[in-house]
Amino acid sequence: MLNFNQCGKTFADGTVALRDVSLEVPRGQFCVLLGPSGAGKTTLLRAVNGLTSLTTGDVELDGVALNRHTLGKIRRRVAMVHQQFNLVGRLNVMENVLSGSLGDVPAWRALTGLFDSRLRRKVCGLLQDVGLAESHVYKRASELSGGQQQRVAIARAFIMEPVLVLADEPVASLDMSISATILELLRDASAKRNTTVLCTLHQVELARQFADRVIGMRDGTVVYDGPPSGLCGEALDLIYDKRAEVEISSRRTAVDVLAPNAIAV
Amino acid sequence: MARPDSEIFVGGSKPAQQWRVRQPYGPKLILGLLFAAVLLALSARHTQIDKMLVMTAEWAAQIVGLRPSSEVGKGAKRFADTAFPLVFHEEAPVSRIEKFDRNNLPWLSHLETRTVESARYDFDRNEMVADFEKQEFLVKPVGYLVYVCEKMIETLEMALWATLLSIVISLPLAYFGARNYSPNRFTYSASRLTSSFLRAMPELVAALFLVLMYGFGPIAGVLALGLHCAGFFGKFYADDIENAERGPQEALIATGAGKLAVLRYAVIPQVLPQYIAYTQYILERNVRMATVIGVVGAGGIGIELKGRFDMFDFGHVSTILLVIFLTVLGLERISQWLRKRIIR
Ligand SMILES: Nc1ncnc2c1ncn2[C@@H]1O[C@H](COP(=O)(O)OP(=O)(O)OP(=O)(O)O)[C@@H](O)[C@H]1O
Ligand SMILES: [Mg+2]
Repeated sequence: MLNFNQCGKTFADGTVALRDVSLEVPRGQFCVLLGPSGAGKTTLLRAVNGLTSLTTGDVELDGVALNRHTLGKIRRRVAMVHQQFNLVGRLNVMENVLSGSLGDVPAWRALTGLFDSRLRRKVCGLLQDVGLAESHVYKRASELSGGQQQRVAIARAFIMEPVLVLADEPVASLDMSISATILELLRDASAKRNTTVLCTLHQVELARQFADRVIGMRDGTVVYDGPPSGLCGEALDLIYDKRAEVEISSRRTAVDVLAPNAIAV
Repeated sequence: MARPDSEIFVGGSKPAQQWRVRQPYGPKLILGLLFAAVLLALSARHTQIDKMLVMTAEWAAQIVGLRPSSEVGKGAKRFADTAFPLVFHEEAPVSRIEKFDRNNLPWLSHLETRTVESARYDFDRNEMVADFEKQEFLVKPVGYLVYVCEKMIETLEMALWATLLSIVISLPLAYFGARNYSPNRFTYSASRLTSSFLRAMPELVAALFLVLMYGFGPIAGVLALGLHCAGFFGKFYADDIENAERGPQEALIATGAGKLAVLRYAVIPQVLPQYIAYTQYILERNVRMATVIGVVGAGGIGIELKGRFDMFDFGHVSTILLVIFLTVLGLERISQWLRKRIIR
């Protein structure tokens, strides 16, 4: 279970990215974050594994609050998938996936590159699961197409059996036709392991198709929290529509108006 | 259908005829250039640029036959007259060779008997007389060339070790000098300062001191070149680490990987091509520098070059120059070829 307790973030330049966000995400849920650009979705994700530190509030994973002492432990249980894939272009696919386990293998193995052969077998299995072939394993990551790179990134995310995967716009750099496939892979891989997924998206369509639960954000606050089926007229206006802006800024916590008790699925 | 002009302009913008345009250069730039010209003229006096032009012109005049002689021409002639033929051979009278073994001559050599003429003062006749004496010589037809090549190989080895040494020294300098990996500001500044200091110290000056400390020979040369280049590597490597793409590093940090592991997997693969390019450049540079660093006694072919030059043995000097020239050219070729293979 993942808990956000009254999370707030103000950047050094004064930008307020998160305002008092409280959420509870149960284990195994595929939770999609929607919201316009600058809503604070990325900031919220990065707060979970400490890439961004919160100004107020805290994040707990299975009852363990993220702090200086628990950072390493939590990072090893939480994987991340990025919009730009963030593979190392000059390393091959095998090395890229193996690098996902660096937090868990002993330092001497990490630095010499002598990974356990069972781990290499596991990489092959993961690569097959995301739809890559044997011929891809020793190709350089930079030689793959965008869709293939994101498949590698998903394999990398699952190598350590994470309890939570943070996916920040995993399909934003991809073609629409491939987007659904990639999200399907992400959903299947996490469903198989009962892994929680927190995924930001820009396409409402995809959210409807894949999410167990949708969280709509705007201006650093949660303005919608409910099932994808509830994503219609009013809710979408709250999240995206310009006209709702005035209303939201006057009543900062619009979520109280729309969904007083966040609906968990 | 023609529209009225005003309709073409988007909301409130001026017509193009009234847009402000800038001149490519204004009075400020022209004044600046004039000022620079005055400074240059002053500095030209200090550096005798005027004299250089006059001397070169005189030389040119001599070449086309307008003048009987010129200073530059005289100097060049002094070298050119004795520079050829190149000296490849080496010979020594057998009588002066210690432990000479007639039945076991060195490789590529033979014995020659010559009649040597020497002058002697005859006290009876009160005049100089010529004495003729048979003397045996050990002649090595390419002996000198072989010696120069050996010295050149020593020079190459110096360059190689200097480069290796500089890499070893620069690795910690690069790690602690990269803002995003250095543990704190003190280590950062300390290693950046060290790099700058090493870079700023001219090799020849360093070599002078190192010869005092370590004596004549290659040690001083290797250290002088190695320390200087460590400063270069320290800076370049550190800059590259700082500028490496952030995304992949963050991806590994997010898995809980340690700093060194992130460096190993997300930084080094990215910067490796540049590293190899720098290293190659420095190696080539060290070869060139190692040939001259011997001038101050720090090993390599430079010692021989300086000695021969001071004795006006220009035939020998030409041989040395030829070997240096061919080696540097050859190395450049090899390194270009290697680079294509290694960096993909
Ligand atoms: N490092 C930073 N320094 C200052 N401000 C930042 C920083 N990172 C993000 N912000 C600001 O915080 C706010 C929230 O940014 P965030 O990246 O979380 O938005 P987002 O919802 O992910 O947007 P997008 O959909 O465009 O990715 C924005 O106003 C952004 O400009
Ligand atoms: Mg974002």
